[in-house]
Amino acid sequence: MMRVQVELLQGTLDMLIMKALALGEMHGLGISRRIEQITKGTFQVKPGSLFPALHRMEESGWLSASWGESENNRRAKYYQLTKAGRRQLESETQRWGRISLAIERALEA
Amino acid sequence: MWLKNAIRNLRHKQQADELLDEEVHGYAELLAEEKIRGGMSIAEARREAKMELGGIEQVKEQTREVRAGHFLETLWQDLRYGARMLRKNPGFTVVAVLTLALGIGANTAIFSMIDAILLSRLPYPNASRLVMVWEDVHLPHYQNNEDTPAPGNYVDWKEQNSVFSSMAAIRYRSWNLTGSGEPVRIEGEAFSADIFSVLQTYPVIGRIFTADEDRQGASHVALLGYGLWTSRFGGDRTIVGRTIQLDGEDYRVIGVMPREFRFPDPTDQLYVPLGLSAEELANHHSHYLRVVARLKPGVTVAKAHSDLQIVAKRLTAQYPDSNTGVGVSVVPLREMVAGDLRLPLFVLFGVVALLLLMVCANVASLLFARASVRAREIAMRAALGASRARLVLQLLVESVLLASLGGILGLAFAFWGIYVLRSYAPVTLDLPEVHLDALVCVFTLSVSLFAGIIFGLAPAFQSSRLELSSVLQEGARESVPRAHRRAHASLIVTEIALGVVVLIGTGLLLHSFVQLEEIPLGFQAQNVLTFRAILRGPAYSSLAQQTAFYRQMIEHIGSLPGVGGVGGISFLPLTLQGRTTVVSIEGRAPVASGQLPFIDYRSVSPGYFLTMQIPIRRGRNFSWSDDSKAPLAAVVSASMARIWPNGDAIGKRFKLGAPDAKLPWITVVGVVTNVRQLGLVGEPRPAMYFAATQDSGTGDTLRDWVVRAPDSVVLMPAIRSAISSIDPSLPVSRVQTMEQIRSTYLGPQRFELSLAGLFGLAALILAAVGLYGVTSYTVARRTHEIGIRMALGAQRRDVVRLIVGQGARLALIGVAIGIGVALVLTPLLSSLLYGVSATDPLTFAGVAIVLTIVALAACYIPARRAMRVDPMVALRYE
Repeated sequence: MMRVQVELLQGTLDMLIMKALALGEMHGLGISRRIEQITKGTFQVKPGSLFPALHRMEESGWLSASWGESENNRRAKYYQLTKAGRRQLESETQRWGRISLAIERALEA
Repeated sequence: MWLKNAIRNLRHKQQADELLDEEVHGYAELLAEEKIRGGMSIAEARREAKMELGGIEQVKEQTREVRAGHFLETLWQDLRYGARMLRKNPGFTVVAVLTLALGIGANTAIFSMIDAILLSRLPYPNASRLVMVWEDVHLPHYQNNEDTPAPGNYVDWKEQNSVFSSMAAIRYRSWNLTGSGEPVRIEGEAFSADIFSVLQTYPVIGRIFTADEDRQGASHVALLGYGLWTSRFGGDRTIVGRTIQLDGEDYRVIGVMPREFRFPDPTDQLYVPLGLSAEELANHHSHYLRVVARLKPGVTVAKAHSDLQIVAKRLTAQYPDSNTGVGVSVVPLREMVAGDLRLPLFVLFGVVALLLLMVCANVASLLFARASVRAREIAMRAALGASRARLVLQLLVESVLLASLGGILGLAFAFWGIYVLRSYAPVTLDLPEVHLDALVCVFTLSVSLFAGIIFGLAPAFQSSRLELSSVLQEGARESVPRAHRRAHASLIVTEIALGVVVLIGTGLLLHSFVQLEEIPLGFQAQNVLTFRAILRGPAYSSLAQQTAFYRQMIEHIGSLPGVGGVGGISFLPLTLQGRTTVVSIEGRAPVASGQLPFIDYRSVSPGYFLTMQIPIRRGRNFSWSDDSKAPLAAVVSASMARIWPNGDAIGKRFKLGAPDAKLPWITVVGVVTNVRQLGLVGEPRPAMYFAATQDSGTGDTLRDWVVRAPDSVVLMPAIRSAISSIDPSLPVSRVQTMEQIRSTYLGPQRFELSLAGLFGLAALILAAVGLYGVTSYTVARRTHEIGIRMALGAQRRDVVRLIVGQGARLALIGVAIGIGVALVLTPLLSSLLYGVSATDPLTFAGVAIVLTIVALAACYIPARRAMRVDPMVALRYE
C-alpha cells in the first residue's frame, strides 16, 4: 500500500497532537496512531518529531503529563490537554480555517 | 516560564533523562507488541519497531534539544569535557596557555599604559571642554604651531572671542625659598586669577587669588602645592595667613591646592598671581605665556579654532609688526597631557596586537596538529548524532577555555610587567599611575574571548568537516584531508608574515636609535657635573653684584683638586629649554617684520666653552674683561655665522629686535661649533651666546653650572661648601652629570625601544616555534612515507632536503608577504624614525635574512629526526 508522504509544518503537527488529545489523555504511540486514524493515514508521525513536539508543548504549558499503566501493564507517560492547550487549539483551528479558506478561494479563482 | 523550566531541567537533569529513556523505550515496546499482535515473531517485531523508531538515542537527543536550558547544559558539558581534554594533554595545554598568557599579558600591559595615559580622566570637572590655546606661527625663519602666546594676544583673544566661557594665562616661575630650614629651589607657576574658573578647581584650605591681587604691584600672596605643604611645612593648617620668603621677598600664604592638582606641570610646587603690568598686557612681541581656556557648552574645538582664527586675522591687520604670520591653534588639554607619547604608545599597541595574532596562529597550528589525533573521536561523535554546529561549538568552547586560562595567567603577567615597566620607565616619561582597573580587566576578558574564537574557529571548522568513512576505517593513516593541511600551512605563512612586520618595525626603531646616539652633541658630556644655583633677591639686583659672585664662585670651585674647568649658562643643552629672539644685522636693508631671523640665545660665564669642551672655531672666548665698560660682545654658533657671507662673522655687528629698536649694537667676537641645545633631530638651530658679565638687553641670568672633573660627583660636598661660604642662603639644586642629562633626554626613546626590542624578540621566537611545530608534525605524519622512500634508496640528504624544503617554502612565502605588508605599514612609523627611511632596504633585507635563517634552523631539527627514521621500523609500524 502506498502512503502519501506529507511533510508537516511545525504548527500543523502541534495542532494535530492537540486535536488527538482533545478526546482524552493518551500516551505517545496512542497519539501517533490517533493522528494516523483521523487523517486517514495521510500523516504518519515519526517518534523523532513526536517526542520533541510533546516535550516542547509540555514546557509551553499546553499539555500536562502523568505516568500511568499502559495496555501491556507497563508504566507509560500519558499526555492531556490543559486549559491553555484548549484555548490554543481553538485559536489554531480558527486560524487554520481562515488560511485554508483563503487558499481554497485563491486556487479556485 | 522558560527560566522555570530551564532551572527545573538543569536541577533534575538525571531524573528527566531517566524518564525520557523510559518513555521512548516504552514506546518501542508498545510498538513491538502492536506488531506481534499483527502476527510477527517477537524478534522480528522488535527489529521492525527499532527501524521505525529510527534509533532510540537519536530520538532522545532530538527531544533533549528542544528542552529549555538545553543550551546551557550543553555548554556546561562542553566545558567539563574541554577541561578533561586539557588535563589529559598537559604538554599541549601548558604550551598553549603559556604562549597565550604572554600574548594577552603583553596586550594588557600596553593597554593599561594607554588607559592610564590616553584614556585617564583629568581631575577637573568637564575636563573635555578644557583646551590649550597657542600661537600658530608661520614665518620664513620660524615655524611653530604651538608657540607660547604674547600677553597682548592673550588679552585680545580673551576680549574678542565668543567661544570660551573663561580663559587664563600661565607663566613658568621658580624661586629660592629661604627661611625656616635649608634654602631650596622650588618651581611653580604664576596664574592669572581666572585660572580657578577655567579649571573649576579650588584650594582645599584657604582661598583663591582675587582679581585685585592679580595686578602688578599688588601685595604678594601665594598658594602652596600639596606636596610642598606636606614636605616643607609638615601639613600644618595654620600656615595659611603666615609669611614665607621667596627670592628674599615676603609672600603671604593664602591657601593649599588639592593633592591631585598637577597643573600644568607635575613638578609645580607653588602658585602666585600673574600680576602683569598694563604695559606687559599690551605687548604683542614677547611670547612667554601659556593659555588655557574652557569651551562654552556645545562649542567644538574646530568651532573655537575657526572663531579665534578670525580674531587672529583682525590682530594681524591691527598689529602687522608683531602679528604677521601669527595664527591660533586650539588643542584639547588631554592631548597636551599625552603629548609625544601618543604615537609611540599606539605603535607599541599595534606591535603587541600583531604579536597576539601570531600567538593565535601558533595555538591554532597546535590545534590543527591535535585535530588529526582527535579525528576519530570527532568522527565518532558525528556518527552518534552530533550535528556539525554542535561539534564546532564543542571545539570552540575548548579553545575559549584555553584562552581564558591564558587570559588569567596573562593578567598576572601584565601585573608583573607593569611593575617592571614602571621601575624602568625614565622619569621624563612621567608615567602616571598605571594599574589594572575594571576597564583593563574587561579589555583582557574580551581579548581572551576574541583570541579563543580566532584561533579556534578554523581548526574547529576543518575538524568538523572530516570524511566520516575514511576516518573511521581502522588503520587509515592519511586521515587529514588536503584542505586541512593547506589551512595549517597558510596559518604558518601568516604567522611568519606577521613576524616579519613586527621585526621590521622594531628593526627600524633600533636602526634609528643607533643613528640618534651617534649624532655629535657639539660638547663632551663625559666627566661634567652640573647643578643649578640662581641668584635672586635684593643682594644681587645689580650686574656688578652678580658678576662679583660669579667670579668668586668660579675661582673657589676652580681651585678644588681635580677640577678642569667651571662655567655657568642660562639654559643647559638637551634640557629642552631655551629662549629665542629676532635680530637685525648691521648694514642690511630693512626687511618687513617677520622676515627677520629668529635666533636662540643664551648667557654664559667665562669658562663655559672650555668646561664643556665646545671648540672655538674662530675668534676668541669670553673673558672677565668683557665687563659692563667693554663693548657688548657675542659668540655665535657656526650655523648663525652663515648669516654673513663665507661665515665671516668676526667683527660684524647685530642688534636684538627690529632694525629701528633703540638697542645697542653687539659685536661678534667668536664662532663656536654648533651645540645640540633643544633636540638631536634636524638641523642645528642658529644660536648666539652673550656674556653674563654684560647687560646685552636680554634680561637673562645664569642658572646652571658645569664643572669638569674626572670624579666630579665626589666633589659635590666641596662645591656646596664653597658656595655656602660665599652665600649661605643660596640653594643648590638639580645636581646631575651631563651624561645623566643626555640619557634622560634619550630615555623615552630608549625605553620605547627596549620594549619594542623585547616584542621583536618574542615575534622571532613565536615564528620559529610555529614553523618548528608544523615541521615536526609533518615529519610525524610522513614517517611511513619517509621509511618507504629510504627503503627505495633515498639518501638521508634527500630526506632533509624534502623536509627543510617544505618548511623553507612556507618561510619564504611568509617573508615575501610580510615585506609587502611592512612596506604599507612602516610609513606610519616615519615620524618616530630618525636618519632611517621607513622603507630602509638594509633593515628589510636584514630581517628577511635573519628570519629565513631562523626558519631553516627551526625546520632542520625535525628534519634530522626524519633523517634518523629506520626504514624497517617505519614500515613495520601498523
